[in-house]
Amino acid sequence: MSARTSTVRPRWTWLDAALIAVVVIFFGFLFWRAGSVFSYKWNWSSVLPFIYRFDADAGKWVPNLLMEGLLTTIRLALWGILFAGVIGIVMGLARTSKRLFFRLIGTFYVMLIRNIPPVVFVFVFVFFIASQIMPTLALGDRVQALPPQAQQWISVFFGSPKLIDNFLLGLIALSVFSGAYVTEIVRAGIESVPRSQIEAGDSLGFSKRDVMRFVVLPQAMRNVLPPMAGQLIQLIKDSSLVSLVSIQELTFMAQDVQVSTQRVFEVFVLIAAIYFVICFSLSQLFGYLERRYARASR
Amino acid sequence: MASRANPPEAMNVNSDARSRPPPRAIAWHRSTWFETIQFAVLMTLLLLLILKGANSMGYQWKWDKVPQYIYRVIDGELIWGPLMKGLFVTLDIAWWAGLIAMAIGLVAALLRLSGSIVGSAISWSYVELIRNTPILVQMLIFYFIIAAVLGIPRQWAGILCLAFYEGAFTAEIIRGGIVAVRKGQREAAQSLGFSGFYMYRDIILPQAVPLMLPPLGGIIVNLVKHSSIVSVIAVFDLTTQARTVVSDTFMAFEIWLTAAAMYLVLTITLSIGVAWLERRYRTA
Repeated sequence: MSARTSTVRPRWTWLDAALIAVVVIFFGFLFWRAGSVFSYKWNWSSVLPFIYRFDADAGKWVPNLLMEGLLTTIRLALWGILFAGVIGIVMGLARTSKRLFFRLIGTFYVMLIRNIPPVVFVFVFVFFIASQIMPTLALGDRVQALPPQAQQWISVFFGSPKLIDNFLLGLIALSVFSGAYVTEIVRAGIESVPRSQIEAGDSLGFSKRDVMRFVVLPQAMRNVLPPMAGQLIQLIKDSSLVSLVSIQELTFMAQDVQVSTQRVFEVFVLIAAIYFVICFSLSQLFGYLERRYARASR
Repeated sequence: MASRANPPEAMNVNSDARSRPPPRAIAWHRSTWFETIQFAVLMTLLLLLILKGANSMGYQWKWDKVPQYIYRVIDGELIWGPLMKGLFVTLDIAWWAGLIAMAIGLVAALLRLSGSIVGSAISWSYVELIRNTPILVQMLIFYFIIAAVLGIPRQWAGILCLAFYEGAFTAEIIRGGIVAVRKGQREAAQSLGFSGFYMYRDIILPQAVPLMLPPLGGIIVNLVKHSSIVSVIAVFDLTTQARTVVSDTFMAFEIWLTAAAMYLVLTITLSIGVAWLERRYRTA
């Protein structure tokens, strides 16, 4: 039986007409005020060159600010979910451990991150890492000392070598932040495996560690994948927060472009549309995959 | 059936204590107090590491200067410092945004549940729009475009943006709660002559609301957390005040740790309340 979201069969009523009228009036009012009181002149063509520009010297289309910001966002999201996944699995195992020591560590980590506002966390963590760890690692200098071939490779996966310090800062902050949520997902996944599985493994002679490795974790990982997909989408959205500490991702670039062109509306609506398209299509894709695999496993 | 997990003795509650196996002694190095001590040692080591790092970059700790930013007593009168004032603004924002978010969520949920095609479409597109864009981008659009065009003052722009953001999640929670009430209840109500408003008031909502309360409590915690986003439009909440004080005094560590601690106290208190709610309304 399919789940019906509405409890009544949809049909056109006076309410529809009233709502359409309300929406039209509201947006009409908005545009009228924007035009008259604000005297805003629409100019989309001034914003589009910031996505791709034609470089006369190179003779081809080169990504401009917004495109580079978008690529940074995608890199942050993909690497971020990877590292957050690793942190999450480790901490998730800690939270479901039999030893209180590990449980305390896991719980402390999750409680801390989940109860601090994301903005505050980003400021504190980035300040801390930028002042302490980054100078010691000095990755920026090391990467720039590598041969050009390696640098080319790195620029595909991590972005321009000049900005690699910046990128890693945002990446670590996002990974640690998302790791707390992944921990909860992993914990729920592990706890969702029925006790009878563990008991069956025990009775077959598996050691505690082998039970975890061959019985619990494979089943837990299957339960973990759908929420992880949701967490990837959440990570793409959270990556916009690191723009507050000058990490050069999409939202930061957008504010850059907005300040220099004064095209407030076009720029922000454009990046909102970009985020929307990415996140919405991903969530539809994951929903489709979920449904497909649910059917297949029956 | 007796098995390793269910020793035969345990199934007989009145069995003699002698016939039950003695409780297995826990090794001292696995006992609760030792594990707790290990944890405390680990935390202390981490703290020392942080302190060492701070000292190595020549950071001067000035913890004694922090309380003046929280409160001051002048001539026997208590004056709140900037951090406390920011906290009051944060609470104010969260309170108003919460109320408006509940209202928006209720309206959106009802629109979606009604049979209206346009209403359903409006509600669905509102929720999907909010859920698939970052809150920072929403705040920027709200402040620079919507509030500027409609002439909404700064703090209310922040409150409204927050309310619309959490309202989308509230709408999903309310809708989920109402849909979770079994269809048979609705049919029984209709067969007894209940209809529309009375059906909702007497049959559906009393069953739906206990389901909704724990997630709604979670929304309130999220409100307090996300209220810090208003600092990007320079509303003087706790985060903005912390940034201001840090830029004035350069006591970055102390002030940020204090601000984070204030947020933690707030959210953990609210989380405990939510956990209590969850326990109270747990559908066994």
